[in-house]
Amino acid sequence: MASSICRLTTKTTTLKQNGMTHAPHPLCSTSEHQLSRRQLLGSAAAGAGTGGLGGLLQPAVAEELKRDDKQVIFVWLDGGMSQLESWDPKPNTQFGGPFRAIPTSLPGVHIGELMPHTAKVLHHTSIVRSVHTQDNSHSAGVGRINRGDPKNRGVVYPYLGSAVAKLMGPTASGLPPYCWVKPYSGGFKTADAGFLGAKYGALAFGDGKPPNNLLLNKQITAEENTARNELRAAFSERFSQGRSKDWTDANSYVFDVADTLMKRMDLFDESKVSEQDRDRYGRHALGRHMLMARRLIEAGVRFVKVNSYHWDSHGDNFNACQSLIPQFDRPFAALLEDLNERGMLDNVLVIAMSEFGRTPKINSHVGRDHWPEAWSVAMGGAGIKRGHVIGRTNELGTFVEDQEYDVGHLFHTWFRGLGVSEEMMEYDNDGQPLPVAHDDCFPIKELLA
Amino acid sequence: MNEPHKRDRLRLAVKRRQECDVVLSCEQSLPRRNLVVRALLCNLFIVLLLAARVSHAADPVHQQIDRLIEAKITGPVAPRSPDAEFIRRVTLDLAGRIPTADETRSFLQDDSKDKREALIERLLSGPEYATAMAGLFNVMLMERRGENADWDRFLKTSFAANQPWNELVRQILLPSADNEESRGSAWFYKRRLEKSGQQPTDYAGLTRDVGRLFLGVDLQCAECHDHLMIDDYKQQEFQGLFSVYKNVSIRNEKFPAINEKSITEKLEFISVFGSEHQVTGPRIPFGAEFEIPPPPEEQPKKKPDPNAPPAFSSLKLIAANLPSPENSLFCRNSANRIWFALMGQGLVEPLDQFHSDNQATHPEVLNLLATEFAAHEFDLKWLLRQIILSETYQRSSRTSEETIEGTYARARLRRLTADQHLASLLVATGNLQRLLPSESEPSEQYTELQKEFLSAFAAEPKEPALSYAPAVKQALFQLNESQFLNLLTPQENNLTERISKLQPRDVIDECFLSIFSRLPTVSERELAIDQIPDNEASRAARIQRLVWAMLTSIEFAVNH
Repeated sequence: MASSICRLTTKTTTLKQNGMTHAPHPLCSTSEHQLSRRQLLGSAAAGAGTGGLGGLLQPAVAEELKRDDKQVIFVWLDGGMSQLESWDPKPNTQFGGPFRAIPTSLPGVHIGELMPHTAKVLHHTSIVRSVHTQDNSHSAGVGRINRGDPKNRGVVYPYLGSAVAKLMGPTASGLPPYCWVKPYSGGFKTADAGFLGAKYGALAFGDGKPPNNLLLNKQITAEENTARNELRAAFSERFSQGRSKDWTDANSYVFDVADTLMKRMDLFDESKVSEQDRDRYGRHALGRHMLMARRLIEAGVRFVKVNSYHWDSHGDNFNACQSLIPQFDRPFAALLEDLNERGMLDNVLVIAMSEFGRTPKINSHVGRDHWPEAWSVAMGGAGIKRGHVIGRTNELGTFVEDQEYDVGHLFHTWFRGLGVSEEMMEYDNDGQPLPVAHDDCFPIKELLA
Repeated sequence: MNEPHKRDRLRLAVKRRQECDVVLSCEQSLPRRNLVVRALLCNLFIVLLLAARVSHAADPVHQQIDRLIEAKITGPVAPRSPDAEFIRRVTLDLAGRIPTADETRSFLQDDSKDKREALIERLLSGPEYATAMAGLFNVMLMERRGENADWDRFLKTSFAANQPWNELVRQILLPSADNEESRGSAWFYKRRLEKSGQQPTDYAGLTRDVGRLFLGVDLQCAECHDHLMIDDYKQQEFQGLFSVYKNVSIRNEKFPAINEKSITEKLEFISVFGSEHQVTGPRIPFGAEFEIPPPPEEQPKKKPDPNAPPAFSSLKLIAANLPSPENSLFCRNSANRIWFALMGQGLVEPLDQFHSDNQATHPEVLNLLATEFAAHEFDLKWLLRQIILSETYQRSSRTSEETIEGTYARARLRRLTADQHLASLLVATGNLQRLLPSESEPSEQYTELQKEFLSAFAAEPKEPALSYAPAVKQALFQLNESQFLNLLTPQENNLTERISKLQPRDVIDECFLSIFSRLPTVSERELAIDQIPDNEASRAARIQRLVWAMLTSIEFAVNH
């Protein structure tokens, strides 16, 4: 604790000396100067999901983005997937349960028999079996894990997707940087953004359906749409003569993003996908949503979150797993195959996780409860190595042997793998410096390519 | 300004300073501890001296503003706004909507020299003034946490009567359930005391908001420790106010109401960075701590009435002392927020970061406004009038040469608030009468449109609506929402119907006057005239395209 305070205080002093604790003095720079490249990449431009000044991105920064266009698919299995029935089986042990372990494409590595498809392509991802986190409740744990469980500095941290939207901005595709495919309702979801502000929230596709008003209104033909937008731009352009251009650019930018999205209505049309693909991913919700995630990533979305619910198997764990895990296994394996086939895994990080694992001990309802002490996360792609297994749990699967990794370590690893530069590893919240990931954690070196 | 009043204030300031010096000399801690109190008193002193000085200068305050602002401008300055720009700007600010085509036309044709002054007076005494102010302050104070009819009535009647601003704040800080007119003021507390889901009551959030909104200080970090970067923001400032709000709860009534419990002992707190126990009684941040009286003798054990006023009401002390002319921070924050609303830029920014290391860009202007606002008994119309009469306010937003940002060398673009935007949309498209024949009885269609419009355009709950952040959902709303596009369909003498029979040239003038509140330039007229074909069949559709493009262009979305 003491050392971290020192660190912060020192930093504070430096910031103050540089005069950075306050907004730049309005008298000393023009608005153009205030829009530094870093701000473009890091703040305003990133807001494409729900807002932002990113029209200014084109084309100066677009080139750089293209060269290094890392993307993320984040599969969230809400409630907690059992590591013992998936990534870290312990067959024939006290808590092992009835399922067997099967060999995988990685020599010597076994995973649960409920994941035969993933087993065949396991070399396209890595597993960290030594995850050890702090919270065993859903209500607090979900938020803590999704935010990387940073030190409490009195602010609400962003979820990973909002953080990536802020730190990396949209890709050159012009699509919103943070999309979320989920069951139930969709729309512009801002809660994930925390202190970063609503514009870093997610554009959510409820049950894979487009948000309100994405369909071109029936009264308007495509030609009319082009013509009216051109006229709108012409009026805006005339208005901005002799005035600040920022606002015009910002306004045009959101219309451009809207237009890009409207032109990609095909993303929401499942009939555009081959029957074969639909079978490979499965026709259940998680399958369809993972397939959609692949298509969103192909279309150029920076970060796609896919949500699945009902993994909280306190009762009848083994039947639940037998029903649920295959729903994850098929589409996850298909996703890895497809991304690999398209050569995209060098740039796309795929993560699958929950808020915690499940207890080795089987309760009286034949269920497993919450277990943050020792569980597993799958991750690989972009700058994160594939085909590795990091860490191990003890024989019974109850605790981690050797080095434990908290979610803070995972956040550091992901940000590093995505190429987030050292200087971007700190948010500036109105002068309050906030590390983007827990200050006491560090990346898992063995996983960094 | 009357002399005895001023002398009293001066005396009071000196007295308070002496009191604080006594406190300081007793303190064993770092001398920094009470720096803020000193700084504030110092400021108050300067403010008062300044007030004394300027009161000799006979110049009206708006001219003093101009002098102080112009002294700091280097480089080019925008000319005075053209009449059209002015009427749009001031009507948006004081009536909450753009002017109608007729209003603009007759203002442009008016030759009288004092027509701007006359317009300002007309708007200040007009029927829409109270609604516009209620809209502005509702968003500022509630930050889209939800609407309440009693609160709305409280704001509207207060602004209609031009109740002094500090009295209005006083009623918010100490709501009275017995006064039917004003009891809606409790909504400020009540909404914030409501629990969200399984979260406990957010007393800390309420404490923070009182500091932010009424004193311009965001003490959030000081909940757990002295602020790490802002020396002024000590944990005791937060905890002192927190100790008050910890004892406030929701009273179960059909209207917004609260109860308060007596504070019987000081609040104990520890910094997360230390282990030393500290205590504080109730206090207004940066003010003196209030004495907690000894609890009354043991009463006979009767079940107390939960709605009875507490034996010791710290809310009463807060309400009496926070929004007062002696509280320089209150005066300056009030002036700064009203200046921000009219100018699009705070003299102190961020608005809730008043502290000694964050000086105002124009300290003399801030002091002038704060002192004079207080001296004029917090007459809001007076303050609005002075700012609006200034050349600084009336400057054009357009210049031929680049001006230096932040110097007020030209008018800053301000995003229309969601409420202004919707009202202006109905005025521009001539649908106001049809959809909102009277404010008390909105049509179903209006209510539905308003809901969708606000969900696309208003800031998220709890997000201050301060900066321009255009959003994709706004673009999608304007591109595809039927309720929006239907405003453009010719019906019941709305804009598109009214102009459908006019000559192309007149169509264009009428569109510009109705939507942009000005006449087109030559090049704009050429651009627009190409849009209107002679061919009757496609004419209606082309007019709608023109109207749509103007409504969705950036010019319509900003106050410029």
